[in-house]
Amino acid sequence: MITSIFKEHKGFGKQIFLLAKNELIKTYKGAVIGPGWAVVKPAFTVFVYWFAFSVGIKTMKTMHVNLGSHDPFSIDFFTFMFIGIIPWFFIQDSIIQGAKTLRTNRQFITKVKFPVSTILTYTALSRLYVHLMLMVLMYTYVFFAIGPSWYNLQFFFYCPLMFIFFLALSWSTAPMSAFSKDFESLIVSIMSGIFWLSGIMYDSYSFQEPLKFIMLLNPINFFANGYRNCFLYHRPFFLYKTELAVFLAEFIVVFALGIFNYNRLRKKLPDVL
Amino acid sequence: MSEAIITFKNVSKTYILYKNDRARFQALFFKPRNPKTNKALNDVSFEIYRGESVGIVGDNGAGKSTLLKMITGVAFPDEGEIIVNGKVAALLELTAGFSMEMTGRENIYLKGYILGLEDAYIKQIEERIIDFAELGDYIDQPVRTYSSGMKMRLGFAINVNIEPDVLVVDEALSVGDASFKRKCKDKIKEIISAGTTVLYVSHNAESVREICPRSIYLRKGTVIFDGTTDETLKVYQDYKEAQKNKKKK
Repeated sequence: MITSIFKEHKGFGKQIFLLAKNELIKTYKGAVIGPGWAVVKPAFTVFVYWFAFSVGIKTMKTMHVNLGSHDPFSIDFFTFMFIGIIPWFFIQDSIIQGAKTLRTNRQFITKVKFPVSTILTYTALSRLYVHLMLMVLMYTYVFFAIGPSWYNLQFFFYCPLMFIFFLALSWSTAPMSAFSKDFESLIVSIMSGIFWLSGIMYDSYSFQEPLKFIMLLNPINFFANGYRNCFLYHRPFFLYKTELAVFLAEFIVVFALGIFNYNRLRKKLPDVL
Repeated sequence: MSEAIITFKNVSKTYILYKNDRARFQALFFKPRNPKTNKALNDVSFEIYRGESVGIVGDNGAGKSTLLKMITGVAFPDEGEIIVNGKVAALLELTAGFSMEMTGRENIYLKGYILGLEDAYIKQIEERIIDFAELGDYIDQPVRTYSSGMKMRLGFAINVNIEPDVLVVDEALSVGDASFKRKCKDKIKEIISAGTTVLYVSHNAESVREICPRSIYLRKGTVIFDGTTDETLKVYQDYKEAQKNKKKK
Protein backbone atom coordinates (compact mmCIF):
# COMPACT_ATOMS: atom_id res chain seq x y z
CA MET A 1 0.00 0.00 0.00
CA ILE A 2 2.73 2.42 1.03
CA THR A 3 4.49 2.01 -2.24
CA SER A 4 1.51 2.45 -4.56
CA ILE A 5 2.63 5.90 -5.68
CA PHE A 6 6.09 4.64 -6.56
CA LYS A 7 4.70 1.61 -8.29
CA GLU A 8 2.54 3.81 -10.47
CA HIS A 9 5.60 5.73 -11.59
CA LYS A 10 7.63 2.69 -12.47
CA GLY A 11 8.29 2.42 -16.18
CA PHE A 12 6.23 5.52 -16.85
CA GLY A 13 9.10 8.02 -16.75
CA LYS A 14 9.26 8.81 -20.43
CA GLN A 15 5.51 9.33 -20.59
CA ILE A 16 5.65 11.70 -17.64
CA PHE A 17 8.09 13.94 -19.48
CA LEU A 18 6.01 13.80 -22.62
CA LEU A 19 2.81 14.61 -20.75
CA ALA A 20 4.56 17.46 -18.95
CA LYS A 21 5.62 18.92 -22.28
CA ASN A 22 2.06 18.67 -23.53
CA GLU A 23 0.76 20.30 -20.38
CA LEU A 24 2.91 23.32 -21.25
CA ILE A 25 1.69 23.34 -24.83
CA LYS A 26 -1.88 23.24 -23.55
CA THR A 27 -1.22 26.23 -21.31
CA TYR A 28 0.55 28.43 -23.81
CA LYS A 29 -0.71 27.41 -27.23
CA GLY A 30 -2.40 29.95 -29.40
CA ALA A 31 -0.67 32.92 -27.81
CA VAL A 32 1.66 35.01 -29.95
CA ILE A 33 4.52 35.02 -27.47
CA GLY A 34 3.54 31.58 -26.19
CA PRO A 35 5.73 30.56 -23.26
CA GLY A 36 6.76 34.20 -22.98
CA TRP A 37 3.65 34.62 -20.86
CA ALA A 38 5.27 32.44 -18.24
CA VAL A 39 7.74 35.29 -17.82
CA VAL A 40 5.53 38.30 -18.42
CA LYS A 41 3.20 37.68 -15.50
CA PRO A 42 5.89 37.22 -12.84
CA ALA A 43 7.92 40.09 -14.28
CA PHE A 44 4.96 42.41 -13.99
CA THR A 45 4.26 41.20 -10.45
CA VAL A 46 7.85 41.89 -9.46
CA PHE A 47 7.61 45.35 -10.96
CA VAL A 48 4.37 46.12 -9.11
CA TYR A 49 5.77 45.07 -5.72
CA TRP A 50 8.97 46.99 -6.29
CA PHE A 51 6.98 50.04 -7.35
CA ALA A 52 4.60 49.83 -4.41
CA PHE A 53 7.27 49.38 -1.77
CA SER A 54 10.25 51.30 -3.07
CA VAL A 55 8.57 54.08 -4.99
CA GLY A 56 5.15 54.25 -3.35
CA ILE A 57 5.96 53.56 0.27
CA LYS A 58 9.32 55.24 0.15
CA THR A 59 10.70 53.63 3.29
CA MET A 60 11.59 50.27 1.75
CA LYS A 61 14.71 51.00 -0.23
CA THR A 62 17.28 49.02 1.71
CA MET A 63 16.77 45.80 3.65
CA HIS A 64 18.75 45.05 6.79
CA VAL A 65 18.71 41.31 7.31
CA ASN A 66 19.61 39.84 10.68
CA LEU A 67 21.80 36.84 9.94
CA GLY A 68 23.06 36.47 13.48
CA SER A 69 26.32 38.36 13.11
CA HIS A 70 26.98 41.78 14.66
CA ASP A 71 26.16 43.85 11.64
CA PRO A 72 23.00 43.24 9.67
CA PHE A 73 23.35 42.23 6.06
CA SER A 74 22.27 45.16 3.93
CA ILE A 75 20.90 44.87 0.43
CA ASP A 76 18.59 46.89 -1.78
CA PHE A 77 14.96 45.91 -1.52
CA PHE A 78 14.57 44.92 -5.17
CA THR A 79 17.34 42.30 -5.07
CA PHE A 80 16.09 40.94 -1.74
CA MET A 81 12.51 40.64 -2.95
CA PHE A 82 13.38 39.36 -6.44
CA ILE A 83 15.38 36.38 -5.16
CA GLY A 84 12.71 35.41 -2.65
CA ILE A 85 9.74 35.78 -4.95
CA ILE A 86 11.03 33.46 -7.70
CA PRO A 87 10.53 30.32 -5.56
CA TRP A 88 7.22 31.82 -4.39
CA PHE A 89 5.85 31.81 -7.95
CA PHE A 90 6.58 28.11 -8.16
CA ILE A 91 5.12 27.46 -4.71
CA GLN A 92 1.96 29.41 -5.42
CA ASP A 93 1.31 27.57 -8.68
CA SER A 94 2.17 24.26 -7.06
CA ILE A 95 -0.32 24.69 -4.27
CA ILE A 96 -3.20 26.07 -6.33
CA GLN A 97 -2.72 24.09 -9.54
CA GLY A 98 -1.64 21.02 -7.61
CA ALA A 99 -4.93 20.99 -5.76
CA LYS A 100 -6.96 21.40 -8.95
CA THR A 101 -5.04 18.99 -11.10
CA LEU A 102 -7.05 15.83 -10.61
CA ARG A 103 -10.28 17.65 -11.32
CA THR A 104 -8.95 19.19 -14.52
CA ASN A 105 -7.48 15.87 -15.67
CA ARG A 106 -10.49 13.82 -14.74
CA GLN A 107 -10.67 12.15 -18.15
CA PHE A 108 -7.72 10.03 -17.05
CA ILE A 109 -9.45 8.96 -13.85
CA THR A 110 -13.07 8.26 -14.68
CA LYS A 111 -12.75 6.84 -18.17
CA VAL A 112 -9.57 4.84 -18.39
CA LYS A 113 -7.20 2.98 -16.17
CA PHE A 114 -4.36 5.36 -15.45
CA PRO A 115 -1.55 5.67 -12.91
CA VAL A 116 -3.32 8.57 -11.22
CA SER A 117 -0.45 9.83 -9.08
CA THR A 118 1.63 10.45 -12.19
CA ILE A 119 -0.89 13.15 -13.16
CA LEU A 120 0.37 15.10 -10.17
CA THR A 121 3.95 14.47 -11.20
CA TYR A 122 3.71 15.56 -14.81
CA THR A 123 1.77 18.71 -14.02
CA ALA A 124 4.31 19.53 -11.31
CA LEU A 125 7.08 18.90 -13.80
CA SER A 126 5.57 21.34 -16.26
CA ARG A 127 5.61 23.97 -13.51
CA LEU A 128 9.24 23.13 -12.82
CA TYR A 129 10.10 23.93 -16.45
CA VAL A 130 8.56 27.36 -15.97
CA HIS A 131 10.47 27.79 -12.73
CA LEU A 132 13.76 26.91 -14.41
CA MET A 133 13.03 29.43 -17.14
CA LEU A 134 12.53 32.12 -14.52
CA MET A 135 15.66 30.95 -12.76
CA VAL A 136 17.69 31.63 -15.90
CA LEU A 137 16.45 35.20 -15.84
CA MET A 138 17.04 35.57 -12.13
CA TYR A 139 20.51 34.13 -12.31
CA THR A 140 21.44 36.47 -15.13
CA TYR A 141 20.48 39.32 -12.82
CA VAL A 142 22.29 37.76 -9.83
CA PHE A 143 25.39 37.15 -11.93
CA PHE A 144 25.79 40.82 -12.77
CA ALA A 145 24.31 42.43 -9.65
CA ILE A 146 25.92 40.23 -6.99
CA GLY A 147 28.35 38.00 -8.80
CA PRO A 148 28.64 34.23 -8.92
CA SER A 149 29.52 32.14 -5.89
CA TRP A 150 30.00 28.50 -5.03
CA TYR A 151 27.02 28.86 -2.74
CA ASN A 152 24.88 29.25 -5.88
CA LEU A 153 25.22 25.51 -6.36
CA GLN A 154 23.00 24.96 -3.33
CA PHE A 155 20.19 25.67 -5.76
CA PHE A 156 20.49 21.99 -6.67
CA PHE A 157 19.66 21.17 -3.06
CA TYR A 158 16.77 23.57 -2.55
CA CYS A 159 15.07 23.27 -5.92
CA PRO A 160 14.60 19.46 -5.99
CA LEU A 161 13.57 19.57 -2.34
CA MET A 162 10.97 22.21 -3.13
CA PHE A 163 9.69 20.17 -6.05
CA ILE A 164 9.29 17.03 -3.95
CA PHE A 165 7.84 18.83 -0.95
CA PHE A 166 5.02 20.45 -2.89
CA LEU A 167 4.46 17.32 -4.95
CA ALA A 168 4.01 15.37 -1.71
CA LEU A 169 1.68 18.08 -0.46
CA SER A 170 -0.47 17.64 -3.55
CA TRP A 171 -0.84 13.93 -2.78
CA SER A 172 -3.06 15.15 0.04
CA THR A 173 -4.63 18.27 -1.40
CA ALA A 174 -5.44 17.00 -4.88
CA PRO A 175 -7.59 14.01 -3.89
CA MET A 176 -9.25 16.08 -1.19
CA SER A 177 -10.05 18.85 -3.65
CA ALA A 178 -11.40 16.30 -6.08
CA PHE A 179 -13.72 15.14 -3.32
CA SER A 180 -14.92 18.52 -2.22
CA LYS A 181 -14.91 21.72 -4.17
CA ASP A 182 -15.06 23.55 -0.85
CA PHE A 183 -11.63 22.24 0.00
CA GLU A 184 -10.30 23.49 -3.31
CA SER A 185 -11.85 26.92 -2.80
CA LEU A 186 -10.43 27.02 0.69
CA ILE A 187 -6.92 26.54 -0.64
CA VAL A 188 -7.34 29.14 -3.37
CA SER A 189 -8.72 31.72 -0.99
CA ILE A 190 -5.98 31.45 1.62
CA MET A 191 -3.15 31.70 -0.90
CA SER A 192 -2.80 35.47 -1.02
CA GLY A 193 -2.88 35.48 2.75
CA ILE A 194 -0.11 32.92 2.87
CA PHE A 195 1.99 35.16 0.67
CA TRP A 196 1.92 37.96 3.24
CA LEU A 197 2.52 35.51 6.10
CA SER A 198 5.70 34.33 4.40
CA GLY A 199 8.97 36.16 4.33
CA ILE A 200 8.93 37.08 0.69
CA MET A 201 8.54 40.84 0.97
CA TYR A 202 10.15 41.06 4.38
CA ASP A 203 12.84 39.26 6.32
CA SER A 204 11.50 36.52 8.57
CA TYR A 205 14.80 36.31 10.47
CA SER A 206 14.47 39.81 11.86
CA PHE A 207 11.62 39.05 14.24
CA GLN A 208 12.02 38.69 17.99
CA GLU A 209 11.51 35.29 19.58
CA PRO A 210 9.06 33.58 19.76
CA LEU A 211 7.80 35.03 16.49
CA LYS A 212 11.08 34.21 14.81
CA PHE A 213 10.60 30.55 15.67
CA ILE A 214 6.96 30.57 14.63
CA MET A 215 8.03 31.85 11.22
CA LEU A 216 10.24 28.78 10.86
CA LEU A 217 7.12 26.63 10.92
CA ASN A 218 6.15 28.02 7.54
CA PRO A 219 7.98 25.87 4.97
CA ILE A 220 7.68 28.64 2.40
CA ASN A 221 10.12 30.67 4.47
CA PHE A 222 12.56 27.81 4.32
CA PHE A 223 12.65 28.07 0.54
CA ALA A 224 12.57 31.86 0.27
CA ASN A 225 15.44 32.08 2.75
CA GLY A 226 17.09 29.10 1.13
CA TYR A 227 17.22 30.76 -2.27
CA ARG A 228 18.64 33.81 -0.55
CA ASN A 229 21.25 31.59 1.10
CA CYS A 230 22.28 30.48 -2.36
CA PHE A 231 22.33 33.73 -4.21
CA LEU A 232 22.39 36.54 -1.68
CA TYR A 233 23.65 35.65 1.78
CA HIS A 234 26.11 33.02 0.54
CA ARG A 235 25.51 30.81 3.56
CA PRO A 236 25.50 27.02 3.65
CA PHE A 237 22.07 25.43 4.03
CA PHE A 238 23.02 23.70 7.28
CA LEU A 239 24.18 26.83 9.08
CA TYR A 240 20.85 27.59 10.72
CA LYS A 241 20.24 24.17 12.24
CA THR A 242 16.88 24.84 13.87
CA GLU A 243 15.45 25.99 10.57
CA LEU A 244 16.69 22.90 8.76
CA ALA A 245 15.47 20.55 11.49
CA VAL A 246 11.99 22.09 11.61
CA PHE A 247 11.71 21.85 7.87
CA LEU A 248 12.85 18.25 7.68
CA ALA A 249 10.33 17.28 10.35
CA GLU A 250 7.58 18.97 8.35
CA PHE A 251 8.80 17.31 5.22
CA ILE A 252 8.44 13.87 6.76
CA VAL A 253 4.95 14.69 8.04
CA VAL A 254 3.78 16.05 4.68
CA PHE A 255 5.27 13.09 2.86
CA ALA A 256 3.66 10.54 5.17
CA LEU A 257 0.31 12.34 5.15
CA GLY A 258 0.48 12.52 1.38
CA ILE A 259 0.92 8.80 1.02
CA PHE A 260 -1.79 8.18 3.62
CA ASN A 261 -4.34 10.50 2.00
CA TYR A 262 -3.60 9.35 -1.51
CA ASN A 263 -4.05 5.70 -0.62
CA ARG A 264 -7.15 6.48 1.42
CA LEU A 265 -8.87 8.37 -1.39
CA ARG A 266 -7.42 6.95 -4.59
CA LYS A 267 -10.00 4.23 -5.05
CA LYS A 268 -12.88 6.56 -4.39
CA LEU A 269 -11.76 9.15 -6.94
CA PRO A 270 -13.50 7.60 -9.96
CA ASP A 271 -16.77 7.67 -8.02
CA VAL A 272 -16.67 11.32 -7.04
CA LEU A 273 -15.17 13.02 -10.09
CA MET B 1 -12.10 -25.93 -18.30
CA SER B 2 -8.92 -23.87 -18.56
CA GLU B 3 -7.72 -21.33 -15.99
CA ALA B 4 -9.93 -18.47 -14.83
CA ILE B 5 -8.98 -15.16 -16.43
CA ILE B 6 -11.44 -13.02 -14.49
CA THR B 7 -12.42 -13.84 -10.95
CA PHE B 8 -14.92 -11.92 -8.83
CA LYS B 9 -14.98 -13.00 -5.20
CA ASN B 10 -17.85 -11.60 -3.14
CA VAL B 11 -17.49 -8.19 -4.73
CA SER B 12 -19.61 -5.37 -3.35
CA LYS B 13 -19.62 -1.74 -4.27
CA THR B 14 -21.57 0.96 -2.53
CA TYR B 15 -21.88 4.51 -3.71
CA ILE B 16 -22.40 7.00 -0.93
CA LEU B 17 -24.97 9.62 -1.85
CA TYR B 18 -23.94 12.76 -0.04
CA LYS B 19 -26.87 14.85 1.05
CA ASN B 20 -25.17 18.09 0.09
CA ASP B 21 -21.77 19.63 -0.41
CA ARG B 22 -21.30 20.12 3.29
CA ALA B 23 -21.73 16.44 3.95
CA ARG B 24 -19.23 15.75 1.22
CA PHE B 25 -16.71 18.13 2.79
CA GLN B 26 -17.21 16.56 6.20
CA ALA B 27 -16.72 13.11 4.77
CA LEU B 28 -13.12 14.09 4.04
CA PHE B 29 -12.38 14.07 7.73
CA PHE B 30 -15.05 11.96 9.41
CA LYS B 31 -16.84 8.82 8.44
CA PRO B 32 -20.38 9.83 7.52
CA ARG B 33 -23.01 8.59 9.95
CA ASN B 34 -25.63 6.33 8.34
CA PRO B 35 -25.47 8.01 4.95
CA LYS B 36 -27.79 7.23 2.07
CA THR B 37 -26.16 4.62 -0.08
CA ASN B 38 -26.70 2.95 -3.37
CA LYS B 39 -25.51 -0.59 -3.54
CA ALA B 40 -24.32 -0.93 -7.12
CA LEU B 41 -23.00 -4.45 -6.69
CA ASN B 42 -23.93 -6.81 -3.92
CA ASP B 43 -21.84 -9.87 -3.19
CA VAL B 44 -21.09 -10.69 -6.80
CA SER B 45 -19.05 -13.80 -7.46
CA PHE B 46 -18.22 -15.49 -10.73
CA GLU B 47 -15.36 -16.82 -12.76
CA ILE B 48 -14.75 -16.37 -16.43
CA TYR B 49 -12.37 -18.71 -18.19
CA ARG B 50 -9.89 -18.04 -20.93
CA GLY B 51 -11.53 -18.06 -24.33
CA GLU B 52 -15.09 -17.76 -23.08
CA SER B 53 -17.57 -15.24 -24.44
CA VAL B 54 -19.92 -14.08 -21.76
CA GLY B 55 -22.87 -11.77 -22.10
CA ILE B 56 -23.92 -9.44 -19.32
CA VAL B 57 -27.61 -8.63 -19.38
CA GLY B 58 -29.78 -6.54 -17.13
CA ASP B 59 -31.81 -3.34 -17.00
CA ASN B 60 -30.38 0.11 -16.62
CA GLY B 61 -28.91 0.55 -13.17
CA ALA B 62 -28.41 -3.16 -12.65
CA GLY B 63 -24.70 -2.62 -12.12
CA LYS B 64 -23.44 -3.59 -15.55
CA SER B 65 -21.31 -0.51 -16.04
CA THR B 66 -19.88 -0.71 -12.55
CA LEU B 67 -18.94 -4.29 -13.18
CA LEU B 68 -17.22 -3.46 -16.44
CA LYS B 69 -15.43 -0.47 -14.93
CA MET B 70 -14.00 -2.78 -12.31
CA ILE B 71 -12.79 -5.25 -14.88
CA THR B 72 -11.09 -2.49 -16.85
CA GLY B 73 -9.47 -1.20 -13.66
CA VAL B 74 -11.18 2.20 -13.55
CA ALA B 75 -13.31 1.61 -10.46
CA PHE B 76 -12.55 -0.41 -7.35
CA PRO B 77 -14.68 -2.59 -5.08
CA ASP B 78 -15.38 -1.76 -1.43
CA GLU B 79 -15.37 -5.39 -0.47
CA GLY B 80 -14.27 -8.56 -2.12
CA GLU B 81 -11.58 -9.27 -4.60
CA ILE B 82 -11.19 -9.02 -8.34
CA ILE B 83 -8.47 -10.83 -10.20
CA VAL B 84 -7.89 -10.14 -13.87
CA ASN B 85 -5.06 -12.03 -15.51
CA GLY B 86 -4.14 -10.24 -18.68
CA LYS B 87 -4.50 -7.19 -20.86
CA VAL B 88 -7.97 -5.76 -20.97
CA ALA B 89 -9.18 -3.81 -23.98
CA ALA B 90 -12.36 -1.87 -23.43
CA LEU B 91 -14.61 -0.77 -26.24
CA LEU B 92 -16.70 1.42 -23.97
CA GLU B 93 -15.84 5.09 -24.23
CA LEU B 94 -13.58 5.29 -27.18
CA THR B 95 -13.07 9.04 -27.28
CA ALA B 96 -12.05 9.25 -23.64
CA GLY B 97 -8.62 9.04 -22.15
CA PHE B 98 -6.65 10.75 -24.88
CA SER B 99 -4.16 13.45 -24.15
CA MET B 100 -5.54 16.17 -26.40
CA GLU B 101 -2.28 17.97 -27.13
CA MET B 102 -0.42 14.82 -28.02
CA THR B 103 -0.47 13.49 -31.54
CA GLY B 104 -2.36 10.35 -32.40
CA ARG B 105 0.94 8.48 -32.60
CA GLU B 106 2.01 9.67 -29.15
CA ASN B 107 -1.34 8.64 -27.77
CA ILE B 108 -0.81 5.14 -29.10
CA TYR B 109 2.37 5.00 -27.02
CA LEU B 110 0.67 6.53 -23.99
CA LYS B 111 -2.05 3.92 -24.07
CA GLY B 112 0.54 1.21 -24.61
CA TYR B 113 2.53 2.29 -21.58
CA ILE B 114 -0.59 2.40 -19.42
CA LEU B 115 -1.22 -1.19 -20.41
CA GLY B 116 2.36 -2.04 -19.53
CA LEU B 117 3.56 -2.77 -23.04
CA GLU B 118 7.17 -2.53 -24.15
CA ASP B 119 8.48 0.02 -26.64
CA ALA B 120 9.43 -2.63 -29.15
CA TYR B 121 5.99 -4.18 -29.05
CA ILE B 122 4.19 -0.88 -29.46
CA LYS B 123 6.39 -0.07 -32.44
CA GLN B 124 5.37 -3.37 -33.92
CA ILE B 125 1.62 -2.74 -33.67
CA GLU B 126 1.80 1.00 -34.38
CA GLU B 127 1.43 0.74 -38.15
CA ARG B 128 -1.42 -1.73 -37.84
CA ILE B 129 -3.29 0.68 -35.59
CA ILE B 130 -2.75 3.62 -37.91
CA ASP B 131 -3.88 1.59 -40.89
CA PHE B 132 -6.96 0.38 -39.12
CA ALA B 133 -7.96 3.83 -37.88
CA GLU B 134 -7.70 5.23 -41.42
CA LEU B 135 -6.20 8.43 -40.13
CA GLY B 136 -3.52 8.92 -42.78
CA ASP B 137 -1.38 11.99 -42.18
CA TYR B 138 -3.55 13.04 -39.27
CA ILE B 139 -1.78 10.54 -37.07
CA ASP B 140 0.95 13.11 -36.42
CA GLN B 141 -1.49 15.91 -35.59
CA PRO B 142 -2.67 16.67 -32.06
CA VAL B 143 -5.76 14.70 -31.11
CA ARG B 144 -7.63 17.91 -30.31
CA THR B 145 -7.78 18.58 -34.06
CA TYR B 146 -9.57 15.28 -34.68
CA SER B 147 -13.26 14.98 -35.38
CA SER B 148 -15.17 12.82 -32.92
CA GLY B 149 -15.34 10.09 -35.54
CA MET B 150 -11.58 10.12 -35.93
CA LYS B 151 -11.08 9.91 -32.17
CA MET B 152 -13.42 6.94 -31.98
CA ARG B 153 -11.62 5.21 -34.82
CA LEU B 154 -8.28 5.72 -33.14
CA GLY B 155 -9.64 4.53 -29.80
CA PHE B 156 -11.14 1.46 -31.37
CA ALA B 157 -8.04 0.71 -33.41
CA ILE B 158 -5.75 0.90 -30.40
CA ASN B 159 -7.95 -1.32 -28.28
CA VAL B 160 -8.43 -4.08 -30.81
CA ASN B 161 -4.84 -4.17 -32.03
CA ILE B 162 -3.05 -4.60 -28.72
CA GLU B 163 -3.91 -8.30 -28.84
CA PRO B 164 -5.93 -8.18 -25.64
CA ASP B 165 -6.58 -11.16 -23.42
CA VAL B 166 -9.98 -9.78 -22.51
CA LEU B 167 -12.19 -7.66 -24.71
CA VAL B 168 -15.01 -5.72 -23.11
CA VAL B 169 -17.64 -4.58 -25.56
CA ASP B 170 -20.72 -2.47 -25.05
CA GLU B 171 -23.28 -3.16 -27.70
CA ALA B 172 -24.38 0.46 -27.74
CA LEU B 173 -20.94 1.30 -29.10
CA SER B 174 -20.99 3.90 -31.83
CA VAL B 175 -18.01 4.11 -34.11
CA GLY B 176 -19.09 6.45 -36.84
CA ASP B 177 -20.15 5.76 -40.39
CA ALA B 178 -21.63 2.55 -41.70
CA SER B 179 -18.58 1.25 -43.50
CA PHE B 180 -16.36 1.63 -40.46
CA LYS B 181 -19.06 0.09 -38.32
CA ARG B 182 -18.99 -2.99 -40.49
CA LYS B 183 -15.21 -3.10 -40.27
CA CYS B 184 -15.45 -2.95 -36.48
CA LYS B 185 -18.01 -5.71 -36.31
CA ASP B 186 -15.83 -7.91 -38.48
CA LYS B 187 -12.81 -7.14 -36.33
CA ILE B 188 -14.68 -8.02 -33.14
CA LYS B 189 -15.81 -11.29 -34.68
CA GLU B 190 -12.24 -11.99 -35.74
CA ILE B 191 -11.01 -11.40 -32.21
CA ILE B 192 -13.68 -13.65 -30.78
CA SER B 193 -12.88 -16.47 -33.15
CA ALA B 194 -9.20 -16.08 -32.31
CA GLY B 195 -10.09 -17.26 -28.82
CA THR B 196 -10.02 -13.99 -26.89
CA THR B 197 -12.17 -13.80 -23.80
CA VAL B 198 -15.07 -11.46 -24.48
CA LEU B 199 -17.49 -9.71 -22.18
CA TYR B 200 -20.46 -8.42 -24.05
CA VAL B 201 -22.98 -6.02 -22.63
CA SER B 202 -26.26 -5.59 -24.39
CA HIS B 203 -29.97 -4.99 -24.14
CA ASN B 204 -30.46 -6.87 -27.35
CA ALA B 205 -31.16 -10.54 -26.66
CA GLU B 206 -30.48 -11.60 -30.23
CA SER B 207 -26.99 -10.20 -30.44
CA VAL B 208 -26.05 -11.74 -27.11
CA ARG B 209 -27.32 -15.10 -28.29
CA GLU B 210 -25.29 -14.73 -31.47
CA ILE B 211 -21.99 -14.10 -29.72
CA CYS B 212 -22.09 -15.56 -26.23
CA PRO B 213 -22.82 -19.14 -25.20
CA ARG B 214 -22.92 -18.07 -21.55
CA SER B 215 -24.57 -15.09 -19.90
CA ILE B 216 -24.87 -13.47 -16.51
CA TYR B 217 -28.06 -11.69 -15.54
CA LEU B 218 -27.73 -8.82 -13.08
CA ARG B 219 -30.61 -7.21 -11.23
CA LYS B 220 -30.04 -4.41 -8.72
CA GLY B 221 -26.41 -5.35 -8.25
CA THR B 222 -27.01 -9.02 -7.64
CA VAL B 223 -26.32 -11.95 -9.89
CA ILE B 224 -29.74 -13.47 -10.48
CA PHE B 225 -28.70 -16.09 -12.94
CA ASP B 226 -25.47 -17.36 -14.44
CA GLY B 227 -25.69 -20.06 -17.09
CA THR B 228 -26.20 -20.71 -20.75
CA THR B 229 -27.45 -17.71 -22.67
CA ASP B 230 -30.74 -19.38 -23.56
CA GLU B 231 -31.55 -20.10 -19.93
CA THR B 232 -30.39 -16.70 -18.74
CA LEU B 233 -32.41 -14.84 -21.32
CA LYS B 234 -35.44 -16.89 -20.41
CA VAL B 235 -35.12 -15.91 -16.76
CA TYR B 236 -34.60 -12.29 -17.77
CA GLN B 237 -37.59 -12.23 -20.07
CA ASP B 238 -39.82 -14.00 -17.59
CA TYR B 239 -38.99 -11.36 -15.04
CA LYS B 240 -39.74 -8.60 -17.51
CA GLU B 241 -43.09 -10.18 -18.34
CA ALA B 242 -43.90 -10.45 -14.67
CA GLN B 243 -43.04 -6.80 -14.18
CA LYS B 244 -45.27 -5.81 -17.07
CA ASN B 245 -48.17 -7.83 -15.72
CA LYS B 246 -47.72 -6.30 -12.31
CA LYS B 247 -47.95 -2.84 -13.80
CA LYS B 248 -51.12 -3.75 -15.68
CA LYS B 249 -52.74 -4.85 -12.46
